Amino acid sequence: MAPLVELVGVGKGYGSATAVHPLSLRIGEGEFVSILGPSGCGKTTLLRMIGGFVTPDEGSILIDGRDVTRKPPEKRATNMVFQGYGLFPHMTVAQNVAYGLRIARVARTERARRVAEALDLIRLADLGDRAVSALSGGQRQRVALARALVMRPRVLLLDEPLSALDLKLRLAMQEEFRRIHAQVGGTFIFVTHDQAEAMSLASRICVMEAGRIVQDGTPEDIYRRPASRFVAGFIGEANLFEGVGSDERVRLSCGTVIPGAGAEGPIVCVVRPEAVTLAADPAALPDQCDARLFATVEDVVFLGPEVRTTLRTDSGAQALALSRTAGPLRPGDRVTMGWATADQQVIAA
Amino acid sequence: MRQALRTASFQLLPGLAILAGLFLLPLSYFFVVSFWQVRTFRLRPDATLEQYARVFTEYGSTLAWTLAIATLIATVTAAIAFAYAHYCRFRAGRFGDGLIFLSLVTLFGGYLAKIYMWKTILGGTGALNSALMALGLTSGPIPALLFSPFAVIVTLTHYCLPLAILPVYGALRGLDDTAIEAARDLGASGPRIFRDLILAQARGGLTAAFALTLVITAADYVTPLMVGGPSSNMIGLFIQSQFGNRLNSPLGSAMAFVTIACCGLIVLTLSLTLRALTRPRT
Repeated sequence: MAPLVELVGVGKGYGSATAVHPLSLRIGEGEFVSILGPSGCGKTTLLRMIGGFVTPDEGSILIDGRDVTRKPPEKRATNMVFQGYGLFPHMTVAQNVAYGLRIARVARTERARRVAEALDLIRLADLGDRAVSALSGGQRQRVALARALVMRPRVLLLDEPLSALDLKLRLAMQEEFRRIHAQVGGTFIFVTHDQAEAMSLASRICVMEAGRIVQDGTPEDIYRRPASRFVAGFIGEANLFEGVGSDERVRLSCGTVIPGAGAEGPIVCVVRPEAVTLAADPAALPDQCDARLFATVEDVVFLGPEVRTTLRTDSGAQALALSRTAGPLRPGDRVTMGWATADQQVIAA
Repeated sequence: MRQALRTASFQLLPGLAILAGLFLLPLSYFFVVSFWQVRTFRLRPDATLEQYARVFTEYGSTLAWTLAIATLIATVTAAIAFAYAHYCRFRAGRFGDGLIFLSLVTLFGGYLAKIYMWKTILGGTGALNSALMALGLTSGPIPALLFSPFAVIVTLTHYCLPLAILPVYGALRGLDDTAIEAARDLGASGPRIFRDLILAQARGGLTAAFALTLVITAADYVTPLMVGGPSSNMIGLFIQSQFGNRLNSPLGSAMAFVTIACCGLIVLTLSLTLRALTRPRT
């Protein structure tokens, strides 16, 4: 199947600084893709190039098979939800939502029907006549979404739309986004610096670092099999043990040798904290924990659903374990950290 | 509630006192006087509309000419001010504020200095005529440059421009760049964005610029006197003479109030037109 959005060798620089290194990306119809990365990684520039607000220095952008590289935003089948919303303050909610349809000369009755439908979708059906200045942050965010969605774009671009909201509202809006994507279909490209947001929304995540896409996969892929030390550290929490790999084995810097295929030479062994089991007596560890490491407990925090234990390995590296129960561990205790090598990821450092 | 209302009205007091003491009281004095009469060089309290009738019968054409020329000046000034402020806000980048400051610096030049400046430029032996003759474009000086309505328009536009730029720039600065990007994203062309977003939100500033220029020019009597010549007599000159050597302040007051009312109507017309033009629709 031909992709709906295709970027071929697209790059952009500002002066001597490179915002986006030439990269290629294919996004299919109906996908919910998240572009994830820290601030300054080029993710917003990438989105703005797809939307037509930034012209790439090189490469080409195709939407639905047609080259739109030099087309301005008003001539593209994309619509954007902006980080600052960009609502029209002198218009009511309904006038904001209707604006694009008026420009497109959609007939009055059809326009009214689609505006009502969009307001219904974002659950603001009663607030059509309200001035946007009288809305709360979450409501403004939804109006911005409705204003873009009412255009029925082939591609909806979302630029950190939830960053101005507080945590509780953000979680509620994430749910709204999932519901709306399921309801209207269409392709969503969502830029965020919040990995939890990306994981909970998208079916595919492109992790960006310094202008490059460093990994592109499903949330599970990216979590379980991070392609680099950066991705491992950026997505969720991870124990990163340095060492040297050779012959299907890894010698960690504390001297312990554990099984581990993957790389030769300097490596990083990535172990997720929830994969770690702790035991004062090594013999008490379950059999599947074939990788083991000595450590000292530094702190134990009970968080309700889980217990967070911070440790220091004998080589001085900090480590973290998440478990369901606290056990009898106290700070200062000597323990063995155990995990299954199937749960670890060995990456060339 | 009652307590809050009392506090609020108490806090409004200084503002209201200034407004009443400096603006309403003197104006209402002249408003009252405009219904009086002058008999043998003395003011006689009365309640007659005679002065207002005289404004229209004796000074009707002067008033119309004044309002026409003032409207023209205000329109030209507001348009140039809008263009300049628009450039500073959207095109000049980080130099925008500096350019606005530069335009305000010209106010330091003073009113009379500007009038004499234009006399020097537009006069028979002035810079413009000399240049035209040196280039061989004209054989002699063009007398119509100075002592003509043209000279009045140029001088007053130049004088009012910085005052007009300020409110427009203030309004344009408040515009949200993201909203303009969003409008483009929704398919709006440049002219459409100008009307639906920029003009719609800056119309208050534009109306203020127009109104400011209109009232300054409609009441001005120095510029027509200095650069206007005999054909460009404006109502301000006559109002001034009624209060001065003619000793007829009731007629002068009536002329002033008719001018104020007409200016009010012109500004209201512009304001309503702009509102109708930029009214958001669903």
